[in-house]
Amino acid sequence: MFVLLRQLQRIRAQAGLHRTDTPGWLAIRHVDAGSCNACEHELGLLTSPWHDLQRFGLDLVASPRHAELLLITGPVTTRMVGPLLSAYEAMPEPRLVGALGDCALGCNLLGEAASMVGSVAALLPVDVQIPGCPPSPEAIATALLRALAERAR
Amino acid sequence: MTQLQTVAADAWRTQIEAAITQRGERFGGAWVTADRHWRALLVKGADARVISCQAGERVDSIVDLVPAAGWDEREAHDLHALSFDGHDQLRALIEHPTQGERWITPVRGDGVHQVAVGPIHAGVIESGHFRFHVVGERILHLDTRLFYKHRGLEQAAVGSTPQEGLRHAGRACGACAVANSLAYAHAVEDASGLWPSPELRRQRTVLLELERVYNHLNDISAICAGVGYAAGTMAFAAHKDRAQNLNARAFGHRFLFGSVAVGGAARALPAPAAAELRGGLAELRGDVLASWRELEFAGSLHARMDAVGVLPAEAALRLGTVGPAARAAGVAIDARVGERRLEYDALRPAAAPRPDGDVEARFQLRAAELEVSFELLDELLRAPLPASAATRGLRASPVGVGRVESPRGETVCIVELQAGRVGRLHLRSAAYANWPSVAHASAGNLLPDFPLINKSFELCYACCDR
Ligand code: SF4
Repeated sequence: MFVLLRQLQRIRAQAGLHRTDTPGWLAIRHVDAGSCNACEHELGLLTSPWHDLQRFGLDLVASPRHAELLLITGPVTTRMVGPLLSAYEAMPEPRLVGALGDCALGCNLLGEAASMVGSVAALLPVDVQIPGCPPSPEAIATALLRALAERAR
Repeated sequence: MTQLQTVAADAWRTQIEAAITQRGERFGGAWVTADRHWRALLVKGADARVISCQAGERVDSIVDLVPAAGWDEREAHDLHALSFDGHDQLRALIEHPTQGERWITPVRGDGVHQVAVGPIHAGVIESGHFRFHVVGERILHLDTRLFYKHRGLEQAAVGSTPQEGLRHAGRACGACAVANSLAYAHAVEDASGLWPSPELRRQRTVLLELERVYNHLNDISAICAGVGYAAGTMAFAAHKDRAQNLNARAFGHRFLFGSVAVGGAARALPAPAAAELRGGLAELRGDVLASWRELEFAGSLHARMDAVGVLPAEAALRLGTVGPAARAAGVAIDARVGERRLEYDALRPAAAPRPDGDVEARFQLRAAELEVSFELLDELLRAPLPASAATRGLRASPVGVGRVESPRGETVCIVELQAGRVGRLHLRSAAYANWPSVAHASAGNLLPDFPLINKSFELCYACCDR
């Protein structure tokens, strides 16, 4: 444990993380609507020691009822439409929708038309767009912080 | 070259039975072709052959002989309307009927109730549904309902050129991008009579091992998360991030997307880049070892993993389990051994430190395999990786078969070419092969231990669902 904690301490020092004065707090609920899972891997790393998004007031929450931003990956498969809409319905208003990754934005789709809607925007109003395949943790962090700052204004 | 043997439909069962019991072959997947042939891959070590029958509407089930074929038959029914005599009840797999009896196993008795989880889970996790049948906290039976992420990638690939089809296999799954792409490339090359040059073999082996390194680091982190051992979770997540940064510097992508090409190398690695990658890996290896030693002495961590989620060797054989999950149960199958299309002469597969088939065994094995991969990479990266190609040299196979050991086990890709285009693409990833094992290993355990058991297999939904 001691070595692990020392390693983590070193990582934080190397990452040069600093506090910022971003105002407020943004609770994010992620929904995988048919991604290849790479977008999830990168999103998951946001809470790792290199990035530590919580220090900006951003957090990934378990329930859509606690979430202000619904962050969706994947081209929205037909089988995920129902669960995705229930998650959206469960959110309190005002609510934001984010499309994470090129699939969610409807770019370069590879599946068959009958099995997917084709983009998040075809189903829900999208407020935050994060392009990339997958977007790097830095790109995701930058986009989320911008959303946080815009909402605070 | 892969042999294709066509048999009469009424000889299907006896042929499969003879292959398994007399020839000692293993079932490697089955698929329906456009002209309604029902085909199965039979493997023995590094050798593989295909047997086929004209199925029409129905064919005899082999699920009693080969339980590992259960999902293949259910999939063929849902996607290709093929029925199986003797597969009773043929429950829905990819279709999602609303009537529970069409997909849920009936479990009766005092105090039995169902717990439904998913498809949306509490964390940043892929989508899939689990239906637990429990008494109190104890799991009696688990029905998995996956395929929420079914994108129809196989269907969409039909008609594309062999080069275009690579994207469908490659993007099926982020964490297995190299393995799936390579299985596809091998299948196309098998179907076109191409054989990789020694440089190409080395380059592809490097990519496959780089993928294994970041995945195994991720999986160790995930198992620590399943226990709630945050220091381990964070340390190994950071190591994984570092491994991916090395991938990006050497091959231009953190998940190595686009690094595999059909018939050649997508990217050369000149001497300075190879040396830099080798140095970076050596440094990472030291830090990983130091972290791993700490985990070995974390008593509270191991107390949660011992004798939990046991998959016995006999069940692994029956269910067709592959990869670390099989090896941790003492079943020594590894598609890297004897694979002549890759450069694995120096491979000494890690012996399972304790082949008990529990979470602890799968945890320990990953660490042992990491060391083997680091060692292999260190050898392979002593020289630069020049641009190279696969050259014509073999007879083309009627059915192209690619078998690659992904971080989760043997992934099979089938490509049948028609007039130079993809007539059929079938991807049977290791995750697909192993999901039934997760359900099997969960029975008898406590419901709160399920996330840990699940993470110890760490299967993808994406390349299972396709
Ligand atoms: S955008 Fe790219 S990385 Fe993200 S889910 Fe789609 S294919 Fe995967």
